[in-house]
Amino acid sequence: MPPYKAGLLKRKNESQESKNSNSEDKNTTSADEGEELVKGFLDDEDDAADSEPEEDEHSDGERDASHFYLLALEVLFEEHDSTLGDDEQENETSEAESSDLTDSEEVEETDEDEGDSSENEEQVSSDSGADTGMAPITTGSSDEAVRKIGGKKKVKQVTKKTQEKKKNNKTSIEIMSAKIQEDKVTAPVQQKGDEYESGDTSDEEDRTNTVGDIPMWWYNEYPHIGYTLDGERIIKPPQRDQIDEFLKKCSDPDFWRTVKDPQTGQDVVLAPSDLRLLERLRASRLPSDTHDDYEPWVEWFSREVLATPLRAFPEHKRSFLPSRSEQLAVSKLVHALKMGWTKTRKEMAAERRKKKERAFYDLWSSSATSATGGARVLPAPKRALPGHAESYNPPAEYLLDNKEMKEWDSLAETPWKRKYTFLPQKHSCLREVEAFPRFIRERFLRCLDLYLAPRAIRMRLTINAEDLVPKLPSPRDLQPFPTAEVLQFRGHTDVVRSCDFDPSGQYVVSGSEDGTLKVWESSTGRCVRTVSLGAAVTRVSWSPAAALCLVAAAAGPRALLLNVQAGAGAHRAARATDRLLAEAPPQHDTRMDERTSSCVEWEEVDATQWAHGIRISIKHFKQLAHLSWHARGDYLAATVTEGASRAVVVHQLSRRRSQLPFRRACGLVQAAVFHPRRPLLLVATQRAVRIYDLVKQELSRKLRPGAQWLSSLAVHPGGDHLLLGSYDRKLVWFDLELSARPYRTLRVHGAAVRAVAFHPRYPLFASGGDDAYLVVCHGTVYNDLLTNPLLVPLKQLAAPAAAGALRVLDLRWHPHQPWLLAAGADGTLRLYS
Amino acid sequence: MADLGDSQLLVRFVTKQEQYAVPDSPIAIQSNVLSSDLNTLLKALLKETNPSLEKVADFDFLICGELLCTSIAEHIQEKGISTEDTLEVEYLERFPAPRPQDCLMHDDWVSAVHTQGNWILSGCYDNSIHIWSTKGQHKLSIPGHTSPVKAVSWVSVTNEQAIFVRYIGKYISLSDEHNAPAKKKSRPEQGKIREPLTTLKGHREAVSGIKWMDFNTVVSSGWDHLIKIWDCELGGLKQEIAGNKAFFDLDWSPLNNNIITASADRHIRLYDPRSTDSIVRTTYTSHNGWVQSVRWSTTKDTLFLSAGYDGQVKLWETRSPKTPLYDLSGHEDKVLCCDWSNPALLISGSCDNTLRIFKSKHALQ
Repeated sequence: MPPYKAGLLKRKNESQESKNSNSEDKNTTSADEGEELVKGFLDDEDDAADSEPEEDEHSDGERDASHFYLLALEVLFEEHDSTLGDDEQENETSEAESSDLTDSEEVEETDEDEGDSSENEEQVSSDSGADTGMAPITTGSSDEAVRKIGGKKKVKQVTKKTQEKKKNNKTSIEIMSAKIQEDKVTAPVQQKGDEYESGDTSDEEDRTNTVGDIPMWWYNEYPHIGYTLDGERIIKPPQRDQIDEFLKKCSDPDFWRTVKDPQTGQDVVLAPSDLRLLERLRASRLPSDTHDDYEPWVEWFSREVLATPLRAFPEHKRSFLPSRSEQLAVSKLVHALKMGWTKTRKEMAAERRKKKERAFYDLWSSSATSATGGARVLPAPKRALPGHAESYNPPAEYLLDNKEMKEWDSLAETPWKRKYTFLPQKHSCLREVEAFPRFIRERFLRCLDLYLAPRAIRMRLTINAEDLVPKLPSPRDLQPFPTAEVLQFRGHTDVVRSCDFDPSGQYVVSGSEDGTLKVWESSTGRCVRTVSLGAAVTRVSWSPAAALCLVAAAAGPRALLLNVQAGAGAHRAARATDRLLAEAPPQHDTRMDERTSSCVEWEEVDATQWAHGIRISIKHFKQLAHLSWHARGDYLAATVTEGASRAVVVHQLSRRRSQLPFRRACGLVQAAVFHPRRPLLLVATQRAVRIYDLVKQELSRKLRPGAQWLSSLAVHPGGDHLLLGSYDRKLVWFDLELSARPYRTLRVHGAAVRAVAFHPRYPLFASGGDDAYLVVCHGTVYNDLLTNPLLVPLKQLAAPAAAGALRVLDLRWHPHQPWLLAAGADGTLRLYS
Repeated sequence: MADLGDSQLLVRFVTKQEQYAVPDSPIAIQSNVLSSDLNTLLKALLKETNPSLEKVADFDFLICGELLCTSIAEHIQEKGISTEDTLEVEYLERFPAPRPQDCLMHDDWVSAVHTQGNWILSGCYDNSIHIWSTKGQHKLSIPGHTSPVKAVSWVSVTNEQAIFVRYIGKYISLSDEHNAPAKKKSRPEQGKIREPLTTLKGHREAVSGIKWMDFNTVVSSGWDHLIKIWDCELGGLKQEIAGNKAFFDLDWSPLNNNIITASADRHIRLYDPRSTDSIVRTTYTSHNGWVQSVRWSTTKDTLFLSAGYDGQVKLWETRSPKTPLYDLSGHEDKVLCCDWSNPALLISGSCDNTLRIFKSKHALQ
């Protein structure tokens, strides 16, 4: 039973007992008193021997028991002198005791039962009724049992109230008993006050004789045997002689269990419980009879985690904190490991293994010098020293006898198995030794060896970092390319979104967010014409048809075709254009299917618009993002923002009709551009570029540039290369003949790339964006398929001033000259040359 | 450099202008002298030799065929001439600085100008042509074009009657981009449209400059990097000079038979059409922007005028490729045209709507 559990039980018992005692105190008998006296006496004796007499304190039982044992032995084998007078007194008490003692024996028995019942209680937690229920089994009579229980309770009270007893026991047993009676009446109140009181104080307080631990025979000659606390003598009880002893032995039935207290000289009759204790000790058992050796084991502390803590106090802080000393020890170890003073087992094992392994000399290692730093030296193999057999005059035992000669001869086929590589021969003097017959041959072979296998230490390759950089031609050799800004075209009041050169390169058209479209003279920067289109112009594109003078402009949802030179400039071309666009084609030719006509409408152009130069107006269902001409100038690909499957619309001017090339949406379309040479349509979506074959009406290729968001797309005039700009600062060059992966990704910009452009004639391309610079690069494309394009970044040109985050929104090359035009966010166009 | 500055040089002054001749004896001078020091020296010499000479202008000095702009030592080092020999220094009277005379206000950019006698003809971006007198009086304004006038030229000026060409041939050729023709200009009468006599086809791109060399030879320049010399009788090409930039203008001088060109960069280039290869004889660099127009002096074979997008008009001496003689500043915007047909007047038209006239004193002699 765990101690705390026992404690709990005990407290419980006591509470019950206190109740019982309260009720039963009044009808206590004298027999009870006698029993208590005996108990009290015993207690006194115990105390005199520095012991704790509480027998119901199981934890202390062992110590008590040993003491009692010693005491009993002393009693049993000591000769006592006693007087008769005293004896009578004793008898009186003993008679009183004798009647009681039987009871007390039974009491003790019930005490034992009580112990059992307490065990039972522990298991079934029965109430005090169990005690009364159990008692009759051992005693037989119910009223006796009740009385006994009461008595037992009193015994306990006595033991606990030893402090009170100390004062009483100095003179006579009667006084003691009287006192005890008094205590009993008051006891129940104090009973629960302090359960440890008796145990704690008994050591000192119970001691009535103050002489201490001295040999008692010092007092043999005195009438007293010591002193009380008050300094009064303790008078020895009357001594008995042999006859008295004998008489007492004959008359007193309890004589066999009477012992003499050496401290007080009093006779003490051992109680049955003491006797049982002695018996148990002699049988080498635990002194406490309440202890059960075969008590069922309860695993309180097991690995199972309990829902509630088993112990009522919280875990100590120590258990949460890492140990400081351990930490120090570990850090010491770690430091030692770091410094290499000590090694882990693994390392030591590796070292051992390495030591065991055979070390091979790395003949072909790349470094000319060894690991230690010194020059690499190959030590020549050493020959074994010549033995006696090689002597010209070897001792006889080294010469081969007949048997050995036979063996020698038999090994002619396998000479390496012979004992020697030579035949020992005996010469009487060195002079008689003949010349080595193979001397010339071997010297020759040695020389041949040296000649054919020259030994030279390989020198390490020295590689310069510059040699690894690919040889790019100097920008000076790649002229002409634009090197400086020469002209600014001022006039727009808002961000210039787009610009374009006319096919001859003499004019520039630009569209701005201020809703105007301006035509400029490219060499002077003179604004020739301004057309207000009513909506922000997102894209302008001059028709590549040389004979026409037609500009496509994306203003809001409308794609407008303007004859910008009408009334200014190239009259002949303007007139030709007007003639071409004046009459509409026959109606049956312009019919479109429902899907197309739901999103595109060819609007009539009224007179004022015509006067402004607007010749054709095509209204789309959403804002336009991009416009691009087919190389022949008849088709126009328009990209509608958020158009899903209708994002790309192809308009045909000659027949005034539109087509939707795609049935399904293929992503967020950024731009759709016609291939300059072949019937292909290139559609740049957010992540990929799809190339559609317009003849076969199928997707022919899909390119993945690896950029997050494409912004612009330019096709090399040769048609085999593609340049993509992306908002994540990349410039991706695709070789369409090579693969679907980028040929090269240039990271020449520090900010988003918004515009890329190929020069139609020179091997130049340019890119610009939110960066402070435009970058002009050289990009030669070779006709043979084996040579990769040569890309050389040439020049950073200062970009127009930033407006917000934007700087450059469009880039165009002059069709013939190496001039670059940039549409700036600050409302200017800049020409670089 | 330092020891060069201290060293002595033996120089001999020579000149082609007889009235300023000085004795032929070598003179020892410090090598770090400037042309102003030489000037004072020369003036002292002149006073000794020819006391009758009253007023002497400043001189310019030619060493090894190049005008002296820095100290002699630096000049010599640049040229790599030995300092041991006697240095021959040619001197000539300096062209006096032109003085600003007048500023003629227009309504729009002035794109073309031509003078003949006392009359100035200017073409303007507001589609009109203006006639001014050299005194700065506006005589006549002729609107008639439908688009900006880019080139004008006098055909003849008889007593009171002026006949001129509204020269828009260049303009037409600019817009005809592919078979850009160099038009033989023969539209003498106002109001009548005449068909060109011959069309000289050959330029792939816009024709930018054109000049009669003699009765039937025309030189033209284009954006296709070519200078072509045409024979008008045969209607064929006589000679072709390739450059590496688009040409914006050219002029040919009958005095020295050389061509100067303005192209799409900062440089003015001097070509000799008689040399077999197209190597540039000299490159003149001082402008900061594109040079838009160049004109030879009609009286001096070594002087020419250039106008650039940096707002500067510069007067050049052919033997001084790094430094112009004078910068004629005043324009606030791009200068589009210049003219030196009248030797006394240096005229330039600009994007700031003005025509500025500088008077050259020297030419009056």
